[in-house]
Amino acid sequence: MTPSSLTQIAPAAAHDAASSIHVATSLASALDALSEYGAAGAPFAGGTWIMRSPIRHEPLRAHYVAIGRIAELGAVRIGADVVEIGAVVTHAALAGALADLPEFNVLAAAAGRSANPAIRAMATIGGNLATPDFASADCIPALLCLGAEIEVAGRDGRERMKLEHFLQIRSTLAPGRVVTQIIVPRSERKTAHARLPLRKAGDYPVAIVSLSVSIDATGRVQAARIAVGSVEPVARRWERLEAALIGRPLDAEGAARTAAELAEDFVGRDGVDAPAWYRVSVLPGLVRRAAAAALGA
Amino acid sequence: MALSLTVNGDRLASTADPATPLVDVLREELHLTGAKPVCREGFCGACMVLIDGKPTPSCLTPAALADGCEIRTVEGLATHGQLNRIQAALEASDAVQCGMCFPGMVVSLTHLLAIRPDATREDIRAALTGNICRCTGYERIIEATLLALATK
Repeated sequence: MTPSSLTQIAPAAAHDAASSIHVATSLASALDALSEYGAAGAPFAGGTWIMRSPIRHEPLRAHYVAIGRIAELGAVRIGADVVEIGAVVTHAALAGALADLPEFNVLAAAAGRSANPAIRAMATIGGNLATPDFASADCIPALLCLGAEIEVAGRDGRERMKLEHFLQIRSTLAPGRVVTQIIVPRSERKTAHARLPLRKAGDYPVAIVSLSVSIDATGRVQAARIAVGSVEPVARRWERLEAALIGRPLDAEGAARTAAELAEDFVGRDGVDAPAWYRVSVLPGLVRRAAAAALGA
Repeated sequence: MALSLTVNGDRLASTADPATPLVDVLREELHLTGAKPVCREGFCGACMVLIDGKPTPSCLTPAALADGCEIRTVEGLATHGQLNRIQAALEASDAVQCGMCFPGMVVSLTHLLAIRPDATREDIRAALTGNICRCTGYERIIEATLLALATK
């Protein structure tokens, strides 16, 4: 067969079918298509979650709008005050873009160590955020501890909201709306991401601790943001631990002891990979690792 | 919906549903059975192919989004019957395993050699973290890859 020949081949066996995938090349055209499809449509970015719908016994939508080739959504813009991350930036690209910014160690580690190399080259930051049932998403606790905001667009305009708020409303976003970018403020801080998969690579982490601290001139914690992922269905801040660290010198062992005292703040979720109690029980160890890593940064 | 796929240099038309995983089109329509649909989650690497030169789990790639891309499967890595560098090194090192996970490993390692001529043992291990073999070890494969890297 020559490269120029076009051979007709028989269709594959029937699959859980989507009737169309519209490949959008601009945000405007994507929003038009999503608006037209309404509840029958959804954005499609990396596809690493959507393509596994059959495994979860979930039907595919009738229509998808592929947004991965929209240039506007694929860039990381590093400014003096904020970093703006396009929604379809892949984990691999994000880790690469942040590699030389120590204040973003937590996010670079979250994006750069998740899953495996091929998945990191496909999975997008926006997909990580917009998938309500994915409890183990690495980038969400990392972004929570960095104080990220999310921009959502529809044909009627764009709105920006705190990530915490987005996590509450994401499963009820109106049809036709799509995450367009993530905005992360820049500041002097030490950050680290500690995750516990059952294997070194490939598995979802059973628990995640993302940590960001500002240290004052006397070596004491001036501000702290700590987020926990994968332990409960949705990642969230560990506010009592944050408060307990304020005003003290940060030391890994002390932080872990405090975390053990406060571990009852989490209920845990049962999963095929780990039971609820185990997810909670490893939190102090992860806090120790995160604090040590942040101090070493 | 008519799709035009370029697989191993050949242009092929498919009428698969748009979200059909590429691995199924490759296997069921094109009879290219090197890629294996094993975990269908992108974690085992048995379905790995090169899409526009990048190792990609074909189980997570909808056929519609492979339209217009250059797809290379394990069947297309040799040139005129000549094994590529990593294939030859794997054969010479007795590092050949069964056909379930191995085609995906060959695809991943072909990409590694292309982008990292200075790859270390650790780089090789990292590159293979998306390729799971449930039967045996990786040491001979790593040794073979180091041999391939040393063979200019």
